[in-house]
Amino acid sequence: MAYPFQLGLQDATSPIMEELLHFHDHALMIVFLISSLVLYIISLMLTTKLTHTSTMDAQEVETVWTILPAIILILIALPSLRILYMMDEINNPSLTVKTMGHQWYWSYEYTDYEDLNFDSYMIPTQELKPGELRLLEVDNRVVLPMEMTIRMLISSEDVLHSWAVPSLGLKTDAIPGRLNQTTLMAMRPGLYYGQCSEICGSNHSFMPIVLEMVPLSYFETWSALMV
Amino acid sequence: MRVTLKSWDPAPIAPEKWFLCLGSEGRGRGPCVGQDKHTHTHTHTHTHMQMSFRATWSLVLKKVGPGMRGMHSPGSAANSEGKMPPYTNYHAQRSYPMPDEPFCTELNAEQRALKEKEKGSWTQLSHAEKVALYRLQFHETFAEMNRRSNEWKTVMGCVFFFFGFTALLIWWQRVYVFPKKPITLTDEWKAQQLQRILDMKGNPVQGLASRWDYEKKEWKK
Repeated sequence: MAYPFQLGLQDATSPIMEELLHFHDHALMIVFLISSLVLYIISLMLTTKLTHTSTMDAQEVETVWTILPAIILILIALPSLRILYMMDEINNPSLTVKTMGHQWYWSYEYTDYEDLNFDSYMIPTQELKPGELRLLEVDNRVVLPMEMTIRMLISSEDVLHSWAVPSLGLKTDAIPGRLNQTTLMAMRPGLYYGQCSEICGSNHSFMPIVLEMVPLSYFETWSALMV
Repeated sequence: MRVTLKSWDPAPIAPEKWFLCLGSEGRGRGPCVGQDKHTHTHTHTHTHMQMSFRATWSLVLKKVGPGMRGMHSPGSAANSEGKMPPYTNYHAQRSYPMPDEPFCTELNAEQRALKEKEKGSWTQLSHAEKVALYRLQFHETFAEMNRRSNEWKTVMGCVFFFFGFTALLIWWQRVYVFPKKPITLTDEWKAQQLQRILDMKGNPVQGLASRWDYEKKEWKK
């Protein structure tokens, strides 16, 4: 989850998110360079007494400031596309979990082996146990085995929602009548929080997602209990 | 004879009064009265008192300010034919210092005589005549047109005033509008929350848990 005075993205829990962290550093560096250059030029322009009101043409500088941004854009696009294609690689998931968005909760279906279905509602602030995170905790967490590739199928029963877990680099829209797929792979055990990311009504901010990544044996015990 | 700047420099309009006398200077059309320093000052003050209300009102209607410079390009063809003076603002522009049109167009007999004399050798002109010719051609000297103003004090004053006003509004809101803070913002809850996050090793790579020393049970130095 996010922590106080956090400046950047949350720590990566999946390999794709690691790639995205590096890409974010790269793109942000370009952004800072361009912004500081522009800020410097603006400060120069505001602090000079010189004037020049008869510019007719400026072919050389126009060429430079067309070609150079094109190169910069290519430098941003190439790593971006690389990660995009990396997300779509064939990875043979071991488990498939379906999640349906509702107003205003998520429901999860683990139907590979048994028929396991449950709803996941946010815990209201008054019912939180001491030390729990406000607006982020849920009654039934999504327990999943760690270090295993999991296929998530995401859809909605009513309006648009979006299933997002930032530390895994996941955000997939839940569209009624459509099945969207994403791949989940966590390298560390623990709790990973996310929130609904598509406006869906009055309680859009109050339908969070909590993944509990556990070793496989714990997952098997849990799913046997839950059925 | 000794030439000093002060001998011919009529008192320029005080910068802090610029927003009251919009339009009353810079109107070079019509007779340029009295280049002599005494009458110039008096006339100027008189006209600016007379014209200030009308000028300000008409300028309010046209939404003129320092930013209007760009709207009428100085020295455009339309300007040179029509009634508008070349300097459309009271303030000459450093970036357009020498328009084709002179500042004063209706000259009295004495001024016309001077213009005739100008056609001859300039060494024949006295210093006072040269100054008079300058004043006919141009409204202000570079020193006058580039003078500083006290506008920044007004701006900063208004900025701080609005800061203060906003602060009052926010204070009122905190007292009468905002709801109670949730229990999770108390120090005790925040401490328990932090302990829970450290226990579950949230963000252990570069984030929060990475800064906690689990052996010594304290923040890393």
